This record gives sequence, structure tokens and C-alpha cells, in this order.
Amino acid sequence: MKFRFLLSALLLGPCVARAAADLPALWAERAKCAVAVEYVTVTETERQPTISMGTVIDANGTIIMQSGSIDPRAATWQLQEFKVYLPGDATGTPAEYLGQDAFTGWHFVRASEQVRARLVPVTAFAAKGPVPVPTLSEFVWGVGLRNKDEDFAPYLMQSYVALIQSLPQRTAISQQEVASPGLPVFNRDGALVGLAAASFGQSYLQFGRGPRPQPIVLINVEESSAFMLAEEMLPYLGRIPKNISGRPLAWLGAYGLEPIDREVAKFLKLGAQSGAVVSEVLEGSPAEKAGLKDRDIILALDGQPLPQLKPDRVIVTYIEREVDRRAPGDTLTLSVLRGADRVELKAVLGEEPKILREAERKYYDRIGFTAREFVYGDAIDRHVKIAETTGVVAHFVKPSSPAGVAGLRPDDWIKEIDGAEVKTFASATAKLAEIDKDLVRSEFVLLVSRGGETAVLRVKLK
Amino acid sequence: MKLSTVKPFSARSISALILLPLLAAALELPARAAVMKRGFNQLLDAVVRIDVREIAFEDGAKRYSASIGSGVILSEDGLVLTNAHVASPRAIELNVTLANQERVSARLVGWDHWTDLALMRIDMADVKRRGLKFAHADFGDSNKLFPGEVVFAVGTPYGLSRTVTRGIISNNNQYLEDLTGVNGYETGQFSTWLQTDAAINPGNSGGPLVNEDGKVIGISTRGFSGANNLGFAIPSSTAQRVVTGLVRDGAITRSYIGLVPGALQDLESFYSLALNTGVLISQVDPDSPAAKAGLRGGNDILLAINGVKVVGRFPEELPGIQNLIASQPVGASLKLTVKRGTETRDYTVVTEKLESRVGEEWALEKWGISVRKVSRTYAREKQLDDASGVLVIGVQPGFPADVAGISRGDVVMKINQQPVVTLDVIKAAQAAYEAKPAPTLFEVKRSSRVSLYILKP
Repeated sequence: MKFRFLLSALLLGPCVARAAADLPALWAERAKCAVAVEYVTVTETERQPTISMGTVIDANGTIIMQSGSIDPRAATWQLQEFKVYLPGDATGTPAEYLGQDAFTGWHFVRASEQVRARLVPVTAFAAKGPVPVPTLSEFVWGVGLRNKDEDFAPYLMQSYVALIQSLPQRTAISQQEVASPGLPVFNRDGALVGLAAASFGQSYLQFGRGPRPQPIVLINVEESSAFMLAEEMLPYLGRIPKNISGRPLAWLGAYGLEPIDREVAKFLKLGAQSGAVVSEVLEGSPAEKAGLKDRDIILALDGQPLPQLKPDRVIVTYIEREVDRRAPGDTLTLSVLRGADRVELKAVLGEEPKILREAERKYYDRIGFTAREFVYGDAIDRHVKIAETTGVVAHFVKPSSPAGVAGLRPDDWIKEIDGAEVKTFASATAKLAEIDKDLVRSEFVLLVSRGGETAVLRVKLK
Repeated sequence: MKLSTVKPFSARSISALILLPLLAAALELPARAAVMKRGFNQLLDAVVRIDVREIAFEDGAKRYSASIGSGVILSEDGLVLTNAHVASPRAIELNVTLANQERVSARLVGWDHWTDLALMRIDMADVKRRGLKFAHADFGDSNKLFPGEVVFAVGTPYGLSRTVTRGIISNNNQYLEDLTGVNGYETGQFSTWLQTDAAINPGNSGGPLVNEDGKVIGISTRGFSGANNLGFAIPSSTAQRVVTGLVRDGAITRSYIGLVPGALQDLESFYSLALNTGVLISQVDPDSPAAKAGLRGGNDILLAINGVKVVGRFPEELPGIQNLIASQPVGASLKLTVKRGTETRDYTVVTEKLESRVGEEWALEKWGISVRKVSRTYAREKQLDDASGVLVIGVQPGFPADVAGISRGDVVMKINQQPVVTLDVIKAAQAAYEAKPAPTLFEVKRSSRVSLYILKP
């Protein structure tokens, strides 16, 4: 297919033919800003290797990867053995994980010094002057990397821009796949026009033995036809996390934002703007302190009315990004609709409470489960007041272990261990360590809560 | 393996009939056998087929469905006992086929889904006018049954006319609880079951399980689908109690305190208890009378209710304890003797009326949704703030609610900013919409998220 395109381009005339002939050279040069990143997620009983594509952004060997490249539930200490593979290389070199930026969602990795000389930052291909915005039908091309067994050999993908949308970032959708997710996209002149995002699902009909075809959705995880425009990427390359936790993280505390559609906007006489319903104002949050109420409809941020974007859901990401781009201590003015009244609120953003991946954990191999600190998000999920929370959460349960056989399940909320109330994570680990060490003890009892119901589980150790 | 009620049956074709020549019994029957035979024949003449037409609100519309079950006549004045999953308040037409194949209509006297029993009365005026005859059956004592005892299931499986199958009592005290067992209603908390290997098929539901004398010792109710000969019947000891209550009040009123008992087996040493002492309070429902009294799930051991000792070492003992609580008068003060740690003391709990998790249902056909009132029990279960709102149980594709984006499982909290505190609010809103169709604003809760939708004419 690609070959046929080149052939027909050659036949079209000397002008197009020259540009097309340049392409292999442009491609060879630009493939140097693409790398494959491999890392291992270490869990209680398993090692899970993952490979993802990344783009080099500076002379220090800094690489960005898409937010989906790493499981958000994984603690940073579980992410180990980062390696960077240059296109065509059979062996990788060790790299350092720098953390995730909340606003862009990018994960940052730094390649070791020994390979930095062979990397070219993508900024080297950014146009001098204004950032080029591809137009509809414009020819674009990008880099793909093959799999590990093919030494991540680089290859060329090319297509035409079919649609440009705000999701809420300005995103171009090309007719065919144009690059591996996380790798750059260029125009005919070789100037950077965007960064390939995760690809969209495509609907197909699957014909089997049944009387009717089944509708299915297929997602190409290796190649993408969607790319975020360079204007959404270049200004933010400096957002390298100051520490691996990605903190500070700005926090508003308006939970369960639900978009309103155009019909609702019309009914509420909002005109050509959008809004989002706040399902719940979180306890002790900046939103609560600012006076935001459950079911308020957010209409504007810092005086800017919310735009009407499609699909409706995009407005939620829009608001989240507006919070994430700010820092704790910044003020955000919210205009909300409360019943028939419009209310202005000033929220001073706070620091996000401890999140799941930051929660402390401890695994007890003999008992067969991991106790995890109860964090703010657990209280929201379980509809309980923060002040009233005690206990720990079973983060992992080893199958057929004493805890597993007793009926403990992941996400069970452990309120008592052997009749003693679990007040803090430290008291839980102290108690569990004592049980774990005691080789004479034959059993102990856990009181757990699961979906609002309590159960008493007897864990037999021998 | 799935536990299912055995009624849902609508197939009317029978793929294969095996005809067997009848062998006349040439042997002379001894006297005892003659009595038995008389009793058994009388029972056979008391078993009826029940044809039900009922209303269903499931798919966003009012739909009618028809099904067949069995029943047994209990008295000369035409009381018929069957299953609650056969004859329910949703029934709009109940027809009884007597043993002599004559058909007569009946009406519901009352139902009790907790025990899966319902009582109907045959149209006696019609019976007199037409001079119809039927027999009635007597109860036997289910408490005297022993595993291995021969029993017979009589009914109209798949709508076949009266069919007798034979088996034994496989277990006379089987524990089975099913929170959605009777068309979504709870069942099995308050009694144990008789288990039999007598063939129980769809259409047998509500028919009697009898001993060799033709005495009703149970009501055939359910079976494990996909299993061989695992049938379950409600014991006559339970049935007799329920029949008395339904005749008197048309309903069985039970008390609720919000305490879920758990078997203590293997946990006695942990709670420092002698064997066969008390029952574990496994769970206390939030905001329930037991919670208000300060009882704690997983911590507390219930030793006695109003001074009567309770023992719940095994799951089979739990329905008896549940029933003891349920049979207290509503609003009564109960003295619960509870052990927590080393301390034992009394707690006073005031009972509430037991409510099903299933609220009243309705179909809003212009919008294409069927709804069910959120009950207190459902609200507790789903950790909702209160029992306001209606649960969407069905959506018709292409109708306004579906087009707007409402789906099954949503809870409608407000319509045009009016809180939906009762089913009448939403019925009135629909009536107003019918009179003058206009865009209507729905506030909907989906898990803990709140969304707004416009339903357009």
C-alpha cells in the first residue's frame, strides 16, 4: 500500500516527485527522536514487562510517553528496570523514571548518558516561527516502531488529515494510521505537526457461525490515526516532574462531574455554552470551602464560559485540565448555576490528598495478602466520612493462600484484626507482623466490610 | 449451577410421548393400603392447574405474560394454596382447572413472597351455579418427616394434566436463601426447605408434596436448573402458619430490626463461647433499629431475645432465629442480650415493619421507561441518602427516555426540578406531559453521579 503510494507519486510530476524522494531522508533523520521504553511492574507474586513508545524532547535524553503507558494504580516503587531501546537496537540501556505530569498526563523517562549522543530531540524538527497547523487533506507522516523481536525497527507511515477536533486538546484524525502512539507526526516539509495519541476504537462486524454478524470494536494498539497538534505539545515540554510522585497536584474536590448536553443547556437557557453538574462536593475540599454545593452546574472558569464540545464528555476533561494546569494555592473562580440563581465562587486550590498509588502497602506472604493504607479515594468509594475512617484495604490476595481460602477478596475493607480495631495502617502492620512471626499460632480472625456488608473471616494458618 | 423457580413455562408442544400399556394391579390390597389409597385419591382430586395472566413492567412498557403453575385446594369453600411466584398481585387473571377438567376463575386472597406462598379463592358462586365438585386436601406434619421417606409431587408440569412423580425426602432441613428468588423479591430467610428427588419440573410450582396417605407435607417450589433431582418444597409447618395469616389479614406482617445473623461454627473459641451458645451478629444494617440501639456487626454475639436463648451454630439454625424476630409485633420493644468482648448486657430494640427491597412498579409508556419506587431496604442496600426517587427497571429503545440517554439502573431523583418522593409524582408528571407534551428535565443518579437529561416529545 505504502509502496504503491510512492510509485504513483513518482508518476505525478517532478515537483511532487522531489518531495516524495526527500521523504526517506527526512524519515531517517526524524526516526532518531523515537524510542521504545521497556519497564517491569513488580507485584507481590509476578513480574509484568511492558513496552511503550516514547519521544525524545531535549538534549538531556528526556523522553515522554502517553498517560496510558503505565497503570495508574501501580505504585512508583513497583515500576522498575526502565530501559530505552533505540530504533533498530537489540539491547536497551538503563533509564530513569521521572514521574507523571498531571496536566499533560505524560510520563517522563530519562535515557542514560551513554545513548544521549545518538538521540535527537523532537524540538529539532519544530518549525522556526509559528507552529504549523495541518489543514484538512494535508499530507502527514510519522514514525512507527516494530516489536522487540524485530529490534524495534523503525518504519514509515503516511496519511492525510481527515478531521480536526477539540477533545479538548486540538486533535487531528488522519485517514489511516500515521504513527505509533506516543511518537511524532510531521508534514511534507518534515516540520513537527503533532504527537500520536492512543488510537480510537473502530467498529467492525464479525461473522461467525451464528445467523447474524456480531458488532465488535477493534483498537489498533500499535498504530494510531489520531494525533494531538504540536501547539498542544510544544508549550508543555518543560513540565518535567520535580519528583517521582508528580506532586504538587492541584485539587478542587468537585466529584462526579457530569456533562450537560445541548438539550439541557437549551432548557436551562444557557445559550451556546456548556456546563457540568457537580455530583458531590468532597468533604474538606477547596470546593467545599469555597461554598460549592452538590448539584451545582459549573458554567464558567475564571470568567470563561465553558465551550460546547463534542462528544459531551469532553467538557469534563476540559475542567479537569483547567484545575491540573494550576498549582495548589492558585485561585480559580467558578460561576455556577444553583437552581435558578447564578453564583460566583472563589476556590483556592489545595494539594490533592494521598492517592491510591501513593498509599503505603505491606505484603505478608505466609498469610497471603497485602494490606494497603486507607486513602481519601477509598472513603469516597465507600460513602464514609473521612473523620470516621479506620482500617486498611486488602490490596492483593494470593489465591489459595490462608487469607484467600478464608474468603478475603481484593478491595475488602479490614476493620478489625483478631478482635482489635485497626485504627491506622501502622497499627495494622504491627498486628499483622506479630501474627506473621508467630509460628505457633494456628488461626486469626478478620472483620471485613464488603459493599456495605460485614463478614467475619477465620484465617487458618496451619 | 443456578437455582431457579420452576414455573416459567410457556411451551405447549410436547416433542415425544411415550405410551406405556397400563398394568392392572391384580393383587388384593390390604386394609391399611386401602385407607392410604382413599386418602391419596382424595388428594389427587384436590390438585389444580393454575393459568395466570400477569402484568409485567420490565421493558419500559406494560406487557402481559402468561404462565402455568399448580395448586392445591385446602377447604370446601375453595381456598387454593400455591406459590407466590405463580400467583402474585401482578396477576390480572387467575384460572383454575379442577381435577375433573372443569375451569373456574379465582382471585388472590394474599401472598407472601418471603415464604413463596400465595392463597387464592375459587369463584364459589360460579362453582354453585354450575354444580361443580372438587375435593380438598389436608396438611400432614412436616416436622415428622425423615430423610429417605417416600413422598410424591403432584402437579401440572409443563401444563400436562395432573401428574404424580415419586421420590424421597432428601433432606428435611435444607438452608437456602435467595435475595431475588421470587421475581426479584426476597425469599427463604424465614424457613428452611424440604429437599426431594421427586421430579419437579416447570409448571409443578405450587403443587403439593405429599406422603403416602395423601397428606400435604410441603409445597413444591423450586429446583436447581442443570442439576439432577434437586427439588425444594416449603414445609407444611410453614405453609399452615402462612395460610392462617393470609386468611385472617390478607398479608403476613413481619418485624424488622436490621440484624443479619451469621453461623458461629468454628468461631466459638475466638469469641470465648461455649459450643451452642448464641448467634453471631454478622451484620447490622445502617440506620436500622439494631444500629440505633448500638449493636455492631462482627463484634456482637446475640445470646437471647426477650430472655429466650438463641443458638445459631449452623446455617440451618438461622431461619428459625430470623423468624423469631420477624414474628414479634411491629413496634414492639425487644430485649436483646448481647455479648461484646467480655461484657454481656441487654439492648432494647424497637421493631419496624419488614419491607421488601422491591417497591411498587409502573410503566411510563409515553417516555418508554418502567420504574420501581426506591424502597427503604433498597436505599440501605445501595447506600443511597434516603428512599426518594424511582429506579428505572426497563427502557424501550427509541422512546424519549432512551433517546435522552437514560438507562436501566438509573434512579430518577427529580422531574422538572420536583423531587420524586412518591410514584404519584412521576405519574402526575407523565399525565401533564401527555396532556401537553413539552421538553421535561430529568435529574438522574447513576451510582453516585448526578446527570441531567431532557425528554423531548
